[in-house]
Amino acid sequence: MHPLHSTRLDRRAFLRRGGQLALAGTALPLALNLAALGEAAALTATDYKALVCVFLIGGNDYANTVVTYDEASHAAYSRARSGSNGGASIVLARDALQATVLRPAQALPEGRQYALHPSMGALAGLFNSGQAAVQLNVGPLVAPTTRAQFEARSVPLPPKLFSHNDQQSVWQSNDAEGASVGWGGRMGDLALSANGQSLFTCISVAGNAVFLAGENALQYQCSVAGPIAVRPAANQFFNQPAQRALFAELLQQSRRHVLEEEYTRVMRRSMASDAQVRAALAAVAAPFPDNNPMAAQLRMVARLIGGRAALGMKRQVFFVSVGGFDLHDNMAARQPGQLRQVSEALAAFHVATQELGVAEQVCAFTASDFGRTLSSNGDGTDHGWGGHQLLVGGAVRGGAFYGKPPPVSVGDTAAPQDQWHVGRGRLLPSTSVDQFAATLARWFGVSVTEQRDILPGLGAFGGADYPLNLGFMRV
Amino acid sequence: MIWQQLMSAPDALRKRWAFALSEILVVSASGIRGTTNWPSFALARYWDLLCEHAFGNYRTLLEAITLTPAMGNFLNTRGNQKEDSASGRVPDENYAREVMQLFTIGLLQLNIDGTPRRGVDGQPLESYTQDDVTNLARVFTGYDCDFSGLTELRSPTPPYEGFMPLPHVQRPMVVNASKHSTLQKRFLGVTIAAGTPAKESLRIALDTLFNHPNVGPFLARQLIQRLVTGSPSGAYVARVAAVFNHNATGVRGELGSVLRAILLDEEARGPAGLASLTFGKLREPALRIAQWGRTFKVRSKAGSWKYTVSGWGADYDLLQQPLNAPSVFNFFRPGYVPPSTALAATGATAPEFQLVNESSVAAYINHLEQILLQGPTVLGPELPYFPERTATNQVKDMFPDYSAELALAQDSPALVARLNLLLCANQLSRETQSLIVRALDSDRPNAYWEPQYLPFHVVRAIMLVMCSPDYLVQK
Repeated sequence: MHPLHSTRLDRRAFLRRGGQLALAGTALPLALNLAALGEAAALTATDYKALVCVFLIGGNDYANTVVTYDEASHAAYSRARSGSNGGASIVLARDALQATVLRPAQALPEGRQYALHPSMGALAGLFNSGQAAVQLNVGPLVAPTTRAQFEARSVPLPPKLFSHNDQQSVWQSNDAEGASVGWGGRMGDLALSANGQSLFTCISVAGNAVFLAGENALQYQCSVAGPIAVRPAANQFFNQPAQRALFAELLQQSRRHVLEEEYTRVMRRSMASDAQVRAALAAVAAPFPDNNPMAAQLRMVARLIGGRAALGMKRQVFFVSVGGFDLHDNMAARQPGQLRQVSEALAAFHVATQELGVAEQVCAFTASDFGRTLSSNGDGTDHGWGGHQLLVGGAVRGGAFYGKPPPVSVGDTAAPQDQWHVGRGRLLPSTSVDQFAATLARWFGVSVTEQRDILPGLGAFGGADYPLNLGFMRV
Repeated sequence: MIWQQLMSAPDALRKRWAFALSEILVVSASGIRGTTNWPSFALARYWDLLCEHAFGNYRTLLEAITLTPAMGNFLNTRGNQKEDSASGRVPDENYAREVMQLFTIGLLQLNIDGTPRRGVDGQPLESYTQDDVTNLARVFTGYDCDFSGLTELRSPTPPYEGFMPLPHVQRPMVVNASKHSTLQKRFLGVTIAAGTPAKESLRIALDTLFNHPNVGPFLARQLIQRLVTGSPSGAYVARVAAVFNHNATGVRGELGSVLRAILLDEEARGPAGLASLTFGKLREPALRIAQWGRTFKVRSKAGSWKYTVSGWGADYDLLQQPLNAPSVFNFFRPGYVPPSTALAATGATAPEFQLVNESSVAAYINHLEQILLQGPTVLGPELPYFPERTATNQVKDMFPDYSAELALAQDSPALVARLNLLLCANQLSRETQSLIVRALDSDRPNAYWEPQYLPFHVVRAIMLVMCSPDYLVQK
């Protein structure tokens, strides 16, 4: 199922990685440059491009994010979602959606229309001005799958469906929790040699995420406040320089014990890079909303992108994430703030990339554990599978929907409208994450043959129904 | 509250074990804030239940935790209602899913040694399906807090909101039969007949989960990880699981026996672990702080222990405030394999490494710098818990006692030997001890040092020890 995980390749990758780590571990910033290793120069980039994965932890509710708006679909949505415990309804009224109706350049077939959640006015504006697009019903698949095949288990399915931690991992890496290589990291692998400082190819502002781990590429992690210095290694906590030097030696000396050495490797990278990255961070004047954790992360991404020239970067992959989307309960009260956070943060980020002159070279896209059920559990929804995702940036063919609008239904019948969910309106993806990732990878500069290395499962897709290029990026 | 327990309670082992249980049966403070007027008290009751049943039977603990309002609010059993075919409302699935995935059986069928059972196709066998979740969800309907005998109070100031008095978050939840699903509940091969009363349904459901063959190995592996080593051998897991299944007196699920089996096992205590280059675990950040507090008899002067190890900004963030995990998936996952490390090459799990990155390793040291000399700066004891933190409402309140160490300030080898014993169970390598002694001697107090500066020397020694990889990785 995962051919790249063969023992032979693992060993080879490990040896290369070991070499890289040892090199990076010698502490001088110049040693962070991998080009000297003679890696295959897969991506010979002269321009700059960055991908930003915006991960919504907890499983975002697709049905109230990209909301069916045409009268017939909205009526079906309202019926399916109307179950209540007696508190506030989780159905979004049609007239509350007027201000956020999405107006694609080319109308969807069968009169289908969508709006964004009423709190997502900023993103609706970006869509309608051609700066954002929507990918409909995308999710992990091993192969094209029908509902009948799902129920008969007659095609291979992604492992551990509907489980948060595992589907986060599957979205990011094609494998359940415990995976150690993600598709963002694999793209990073190909970009390492194009970059002046390979360590900064894959940067997370949200802690560890398997998405950014490559066979060779490491995920460099930066806080929302930028890289963090070990203060006692430089201040007066240790009064004498000699003592300070011995402290720094203790923190960084090589270790025989594997866990000690892995911890120390991170420490060495931290101490070798923080001053350099801090110095490279660009000032960004564009206003980011306050009290918005996602905006704080994306602001740091913008500042890092602004430092691309100082760090010698040509291709970068970033990761940000916020939680709070697992709305089994209290959805009517909590969802508006969650989605406003995403909308305002992404819109502010887009303005910042314009200010930095890279709006055409940066693509931000959302992802989430899974979509949720269409039907209500009284005041929220439960775990699902496929969902709708947003793409933002000047390189996105915006003002358009990609993929197929799923029918709005929760029935368990053999009728056509019940073939694109697996019960309660849990969407059965009609587009796989592999296709989604392949489309982003093409834009990033990954060749058609290299796509298979990044996305080992891609071979199961192709043709008119499951195209390898979904078309949402300008190439 | 929690630091008083972790730093000063006399029954340290019970608290340490309860803390481990709190990382499996997770309730998060931020997850219940806003769901009740009494979040701290609800959480305190939950913690007390963990401590009370820590050496008791897991079946009893599981039911107590299921019915405690903290968990009811966190995973939505509270207020969960039966299906309503007219509106399409169905029971909330959250608790039903997570009680299986995280609290009892896990996603995969397990052998006694914790490895997954595989089907004829070589693929791991999943332990439940979506149908099991849907059916089990019916068991957890109809519950709410026990308000009996309580009358609503009014806040004395506008807007004079009504709220129920404290005891309802301390009592077990109770069921309202009219809101409990009377449908048949069929899951994991067990059928609870239609019309079975709620209490009996709960008994059958929890008995079924508790008696599932997965529970022993599922819990054994994680509890070993919490206490001893990140990647235990299958044989070790099997020995502990066997004790869970059947202790010396033939009882299943006795946690005291499980704890004894974990700590007294040859793999935990034998010399092989000390010689191995892979055995052990990274100490959890919160436990490093708790250990510092216990070792140096930290006490809150005001008795309010208002220490938060997160929330001082990224430069100091330990990423682990006890009882406040980001989600029910805890601070880190038992299946976490750190990407781009030697561990990834062998698939070895090291959960605590999920918190290790270039920012957090520096922030830990910076955090120590803030607390070692005079304890942490905390919110004024007279202030309510959640006002805005400002420079003026913070005080020192939790002071360490270094009198024994001060007496050794001029004898570096003796000082290091004492810290090695108290903090590291004498596991500092000879090389590390000698490096720390050299560092201390490079600025050793002499007869001319003013006595008030001696504490600086002691905390430098503690900083050196607590930042050494020998200390950070417990063997």
